[in-house]
Amino acid sequence: MEPVINAHGLTHEYPDGTTAISEVSLTISEGERVAVVGANGSGKTTLQLALGGLIEPTAGSVDYFGETTDAEAVRERLGVLLQDPDDYLFNTTVREDIEYGPAQLGQSRETAARRVEALADDLGLNGLLDRPPFRLSGGEKQRAAVASVLAFDPDVLLLDEPFGAVDATYRERIQRRIVDHDGAVVLFTPSLDLVPAIADRVILVGQNGTIAADGAVREVVTDRSLLAEQGLRPPPTVRLFEGIAPDDEVPLTIAAARQSLLNGEF
Amino acid sequence: MTGVVGRSVESITAALRAVFTAEQVAATDGFLQRRDPRVTLVAVAGLALAVMITRTLAVTVGFAGLTLALAWLSAVPLRRLLARAAVVPLVSALIVLPQAVLLPGEVVASVFGLAITDAGVAYVVLFTLRVGVGVALLSLIVLTTPFSAVVAALRQLRVPVALVWVIAITYRYLFLFFDELQRLILARNSRTKGEATLRGGWRDGRRVAGTFLLRTLDRGERVGRGMRARGGARPPSPYRRSRSVDAGDYALLVVAAVAVVGSGVIRWGL
Ligand SMILES: Nc1ncnc2c1ncn2[C@@H]1O[C@H](COP(=O)(O)OP(=O)(O)OP(=O)(O)O)[C@@H](O)[C@H]1O
Ligand SMILES: [Mg+2]
Repeated sequence: MEPVINAHGLTHEYPDGTTAISEVSLTISEGERVAVVGANGSGKTTLQLALGGLIEPTAGSVDYFGETTDAEAVRERLGVLLQDPDDYLFNTTVREDIEYGPAQLGQSRETAARRVEALADDLGLNGLLDRPPFRLSGGEKQRAAVASVLAFDPDVLLLDEPFGAVDATYRERIQRRIVDHDGAVVLFTPSLDLVPAIADRVILVGQNGTIAADGAVREVVTDRSLLAEQGLRPPPTVRLFEGIAPDDEVPLTIAAARQSLLNGEF
Repeated sequence: MTGVVGRSVESITAALRAVFTAEQVAATDGFLQRRDPRVTLVAVAGLALAVMITRTLAVTVGFAGLTLALAWLSAVPLRRLLARAAVVPLVSALIVLPQAVLLPGEVVASVFGLAITDAGVAYVVLFTLRVGVGVALLSLIVLTTPFSAVVAALRQLRVPVALVWVIAITYRYLFLFFDELQRLILARNSRTKGEATLRGGWRDGRRVAGTFLLRTLDRGERVGRGMRARGGARPPSPYRRSRSVDAGDYALLVVAAVAVVGSGVIRWGL
């Protein structure tokens, strides 16, 4: 698999002296779905911004698609969604915001129009397209922001907590879009609950902004002492089947758990 | 923040925010909304420029009438337009107010021992009216045309990229500014209770002002990242909304040209 993002020794210290990430090296390969998980303040957002070329790390560098270390040169291939939709939506209407990426990144108006329509349908934005983003509800803003990053169809998605305020219906739609995305996806989230349904690899960010673990989903989410150390807890099914199913068989998603209960496996 | 200061700051920001939000009108149907954005931009900006060079009250009033007619044809609520157009001239009126005293002429009144002259009053009125009509005309553009279409038209008209950039960023940051202020006030209101004294309100206001500055800078930086994440580091290039120029477009251009040339003739003669 071709590496799409290759980071070496990323360290970032904010002007006030806080070291948010420290000596992070990682590789994301084509088609991979990775969850970057860590407690609040562990440095996920900082790592996302550094990987997305939106902050200049104090040390280290990021290589994109084996081609360049300049993120601006490959901007149309990087879908960086910021954690706070208010930082991401700055146009006067939702439609202008969704079109902003495709227009700036040189996609044709027709392609963009088609994508805007499909995304608006899927994410329930049809009635909101002519409204100013700041007048939307929290979940609506988040859906508009997700639509805005998907609109230019980037190769790699770097999504910082895209579900926060979104209700169950649209959380599932967004989840489906992430799973069906045919490039690499990196999801930054403080909770492991949805991770098994989305990702196949988990990177744990430790309290001091270093990588505490990096491995297959099952391996990481069943390592209770490791998770406890990082202030995280295993996904619901792992907690439910604790002492009932062995770690290498425990169902990781609600759907899998239901199936194994129906089958009378445990 | 409650009390007199808090309430007035709150209502001022709410008003300003309403003034700078234009989208609904841009989405409705009307004369200017149906024009090619390039035509709207050239014609209406031309009118705004013309009104700024006039020196006659009658001509200025004529431009005001034209502005109102355009607003009416475009279903722009007059109250919205006036609210938008009033802020800038009120400030500029304060600046030129001393002219009411300084310009020589017949004394019409005397305040605190200062003689106000008729020429002075005429100057202040004309100046304020001109700025008001100019701002109202520019507001008409943003009220009837989606902002990205304005930017696209500027690019098509070969306005230098750097200038388009400045216009686009300034407009966006104006939004941000009022947004942040309103958020901050909301956050304070939710955690204060009872009627604060006027003095307490002022103290609070000063603290809010400090926080506001820092927060706006910080928010500006983060929105800057949001822009860059989607190609904001490249020159603004929104989709064009222009189409073939029609009879209505020509009519607007002709009216604007006549008004501009006419006011020039009145000012400087043939
Ligand atoms: N602009 C800043 N200036 C100074 N310190 C900052 C700044 N932004 C973040 N930090 C600090 O850097 C550390 C990492 O922050 P970061 O936002 O990356 O965490 P996070 O893992 O994304 O947290 P969350 O789950 O709450 O989103 C925290 O200790 C935070 O307080
Ligand atoms: Mg974060």
